[in-house]
Amino acid sequence: MRTSWQVTCSVWHAMFMREALARITAARFAWMWMLVEPIAYVVIMIGVREVMGRVAFASGAEFVPWLITGIVSFNLFRDGVSRSMNAVEANRGLFAYRQVAPVDPVLVRAFLEGMLQTVVFAILIAGCALLGFQIIPADPLGVMFVWLGIWLLGAGGGLVVSSSVALVAEVGRVVRIIMLPLFMLSGAIVPLQMLPHGVQEALLYNPVLHGIESIRLCFFSQYKSLYGVNLLYLWFWALALAALGLALHVRYADRLKAQ
Amino acid sequence: MIHVRNVFKRYRNHHGSDWVLRDVSFSIPRGVSVGLVGRNGAGKSTLLRLIGGMDHPDRGEIIRNCRVSWPIGLSGGFQGSMTGRQNVKFVARIHGSGRSVDEVIRRVEEFADIGPAFDEPVKTYSSGMKSRLAFGLSLAFDFDLYLSDEATAVGDKVFREKATEAFKDRIGRASLVIVSHSEGILKDLCQAGIWLRKGEALWFDSIHDAIAAYHQSLKAS
Repeated sequence: MRTSWQVTCSVWHAMFMREALARITAARFAWMWMLVEPIAYVVIMIGVREVMGRVAFASGAEFVPWLITGIVSFNLFRDGVSRSMNAVEANRGLFAYRQVAPVDPVLVRAFLEGMLQTVVFAILIAGCALLGFQIIPADPLGVMFVWLGIWLLGAGGGLVVSSSVALVAEVGRVVRIIMLPLFMLSGAIVPLQMLPHGVQEALLYNPVLHGIESIRLCFFSQYKSLYGVNLLYLWFWALALAALGLALHVRYADRLKAQ
Repeated sequence: MIHVRNVFKRYRNHHGSDWVLRDVSFSIPRGVSVGLVGRNGAGKSTLLRLIGGMDHPDRGEIIRNCRVSWPIGLSGGFQGSMTGRQNVKFVARIHGSGRSVDEVIRRVEEFADIGPAFDEPVKTYSSGMKSRLAFGLSLAFDFDLYLSDEATAVGDKVFREKATEAFKDRIGRASLVIVSHSEGILKDLCQAGIWLRKGEALWFDSIHDAIAAYHQSLKAS
């Protein structure tokens, strides 16, 4: 007889290999699109800035590195949520095997997505550095800590959404709709420093904004971030969401399986 | 080996929900194969899913003191873009240690007997090939109790004989719980029977008695 922990480990191992294989071989050049997408955003935003006449975007950081850190960090959060959100539905057939619990595919996907985004980020940083941009982080340890926080925020969000689908089936839709405005309001591609103070205060309730501004503070030593950015706020959200998500998965495991 | 105690099960939907199973209790002793009979919608497949642990009873409990398979011939867990070999490897990994994985793959390849298609993506398979693979996968593991939901009825004639043979081979070492409308298979493979009637389960020590009682009720209605 295997212990519960051994069973869980072998399920995670098997599932990780399966998900990784499916993710990377899903479409032609599926792995390449992960790189192309953030690069395309950067190119478009550079074009937009040229049209606007080279306004000063953010002080204390070069434009391209500023943009890349924002976009990739947001992708880490967004893909963490949206990939793990679909994990239960996509692996429904596997619940026939008693060993597989609904929380397993969610955790595996969140982990895999974090790994992939980390590789993408590393490649983009290396590429940018070779092109001569100032993107080597001033505080590498800090960057890793914030990166981990954003990842946990995405994973926690994914856990909550994937389990609350058992109660309210429409949650997935709503989350997908929210993602685009969240992209804008998190300061990933548009600096929020120029907005009125009152609006900034309201935007600061968004934990993703704290994550993105925090990671830029670690990258660029001279960077002037939004006033009131707090890394602790991000971690509170991340830990709270993860705890809530795991609790929901424990409570509604049967219902998620049966659907 | 399997103890089912006061099990209640219903599926909730918008317009009320009746009990599919109502206060079902029985025990399956070691080495006894059981056939489930009853009309469509009597709860046969539900009971099988509960025994297999794919679903949980609303009330009561099911105690498993042995290794129970998933329903034989289940192909819902296959990922279409992965090859047969990769899919088999996945299930083998879930079920255990690194050494036995190769052994499981070899046995499935041998039993399914689909040739080079074993290394093609599953989405290119015909339904017959898919069920061969699924069937081989179930038989590659040494379970104490196999669950079967009309599974022996898949594939061509040669494969069907092979499958029935494989079942007979395991009588003695392992036992079966079968849902089937084919009396031949039931009488061939089972000793005891359960007749499901309006959510209640009646146990018969002989499968012949169970089938006879079921037929009697069909005539009467």
